[in-house]
Amino acid sequence: MLATLAAAMLAVMAPQRQSDTTIAVPAGASLSVNNFGGGITVHGWAENRVKVHGETGRRGRVEVSLVGNTVVVKTGSREGAPSVIDLDITVPRSMDLTLSGTYADITVDGVQGGISAETVNGEVNVHGGKGNITLHSIQGGVTLADASGRIEVNSVNEDVDLTNVSGEIKVETTNGEVTLAGIKSNNVDAGTINGDVIYEGTVTDGGSYSFGSHNGDISVSIPEGANVTVTTATANGDINACFTLPLTESPGKHRKTFKIGSGSARMELESFQGDIRMCRPQEIRDRLERKKNKHGENDKEKDNDTSFTFHVDVNDAATYAARYARAYAPTYAKAYAPLYARNYARAYSRAYRSAHADTTSH
Amino acid sequence: MNDIWKNRLSEYIDGELDSSERAALEAHLATCGQCYAALGELRQVIARAQALQDTPPGKDLWPAIRAGITEERGVRLTPGRRPAVPARRFSFSVPQLLAASIALVLLSGGGAWMALQSRQTNLATSAPSSASTARPRITEAATWTGRTDAAIADLQTALAQNESRLDTATVRIVRQNLAIIDRAIADARVALQKDPGNAYLNLHLADTMRRKVELLRRVNDMAAARS
Repeated sequence: MLATLAAAMLAVMAPQRQSDTTIAVPAGASLSVNNFGGGITVHGWAENRVKVHGETGRRGRVEVSLVGNTVVVKTGSREGAPSVIDLDITVPRSMDLTLSGTYADITVDGVQGGISAETVNGEVNVHGGKGNITLHSIQGGVTLADASGRIEVNSVNEDVDLTNVSGEIKVETTNGEVTLAGIKSNNVDAGTINGDVIYEGTVTDGGSYSFGSHNGDISVSIPEGANVTVTTATANGDINACFTLPLTESPGKHRKTFKIGSGSARMELESFQGDIRMCRPQEIRDRLERKKNKHGENDKEKDNDTSFTFHVDVNDAATYAARYARAYAPTYAKAYAPLYARNYARAYSRAYRSAHADTTSH
Repeated sequence: MNDIWKNRLSEYIDGELDSSERAALEAHLATCGQCYAALGELRQVIARAQALQDTPPGKDLWPAIRAGITEERGVRLTPGRRPAVPARRFSFSVPQLLAASIALVLLSGGGAWMALQSRQTNLATSAPSSASTARPRITEAATWTGRTDAAIADLQTALAQNESRLDTATVRIVRQNLAIIDRAIADARVALQKDPGNAYLNLHLADTMRRKVELLRRVNDMAAARS
């Protein structure tokens, strides 16, 4: 394992090479990026140009081309296995993006076009976006904030988190929580198998809302004055509310229907094993805040915990080492370079003087 | 539940009732929780079916379907064109709609799956079994889950033969998540054995199986992309 870690460290400590390309793009152009491993970071700016900066390492290469109306960015390796390449791309704000990777974290900020982002082993974090927004990861969490349009977000093994999002929303994960906060929508469909679902957002007349989990709790906000017919179903959990609920029907052993106001909107709340809870928006927001603080504390505890035990997967450890070495190598280089430079300068100076003295003595 | 109205819920959703029938049904819905719940379930299934991604299949299914129709009905069809089908009124039971929903998932993922199958002659003959579920004539949960189980088994076989194209960590995560879904399916099946007619449990089982199909389809797509 040490050999693997050392190899990974050496690989990322190798001299970094950079690639910079800037091209002018016509109005309405789109961007397509495929990066096997590393990071894809996209920012928006007010210029009609696309700037692609790549940290390529020794063997990596970045190809940028304009195909029709699409800027195509591809990464590759000059030899051997695929390289780990970090891409930092700046695009016109309204540009539509199609981003894909395998071992890639994808980050988008300040773009107001449609976004399609897909990775296998990495996180997807998007801030902004308008139109069709489709975000997928298998092994990483997915977050989306301040976006609007037709939204489809899913993960498999991590949490999905949407904040201040409006439009038609479909969210799914298998082994993770779904958190939807500050949502403005008349059509939301969110579900997970193993995790809680929390919804804080609008309940619009005539709207359709569906939240489901197998093993987790469902918590939703019902604003005061909302007109909604809520159908709840749970096999082994409880149904409760922070306010008085008018029970309309109890059509089956596991089902209850509540008509609130005119009952214009429809809301389905289903959890096989978990509880279902309806509260006012502020109560859900408070809960989200507590959860956020708790996560922060847990993270601190994890950082301070020195007595933990862990199992090491060589591949994961190598990936981890590569990622952190990449992040810390420049910092250490900056800190130690002056010290080593002085030491080497002294050593070479002594060696030079000694050699010069030898020459002159002859 | 009032059978007169129950059988007309799909017409109501499709907007095919005249104004007096619609008013009468709405009046009935206001007083009948069971019909209202059934209506909600029908809408949910339809919404989920509509939300499915229409992934173009890697192989055009139309020639085989056309050949089947021609053979069955002696109909002459213009090449490349779908036949003009006269407007027809359908009424489906909840289990039929569940089956249709899952079948749509299977068909929408058929492209990548068939692409994988085409490389494995030993599995090629199993492709029609999944396509055949697109014509649900089933009303019993046991029947439609049996067919979906068969389709899932085919997808799992394909995955087992192609997972070497994927990273071991990814395969491990996928297996873990398939196990999570399997446990959920088992829970739902046990509950359904005790309460077979429960609409929620039927829907929950169908939705959980759909998730399994979608995850298998997605991973098979990934494996196919790396071949």
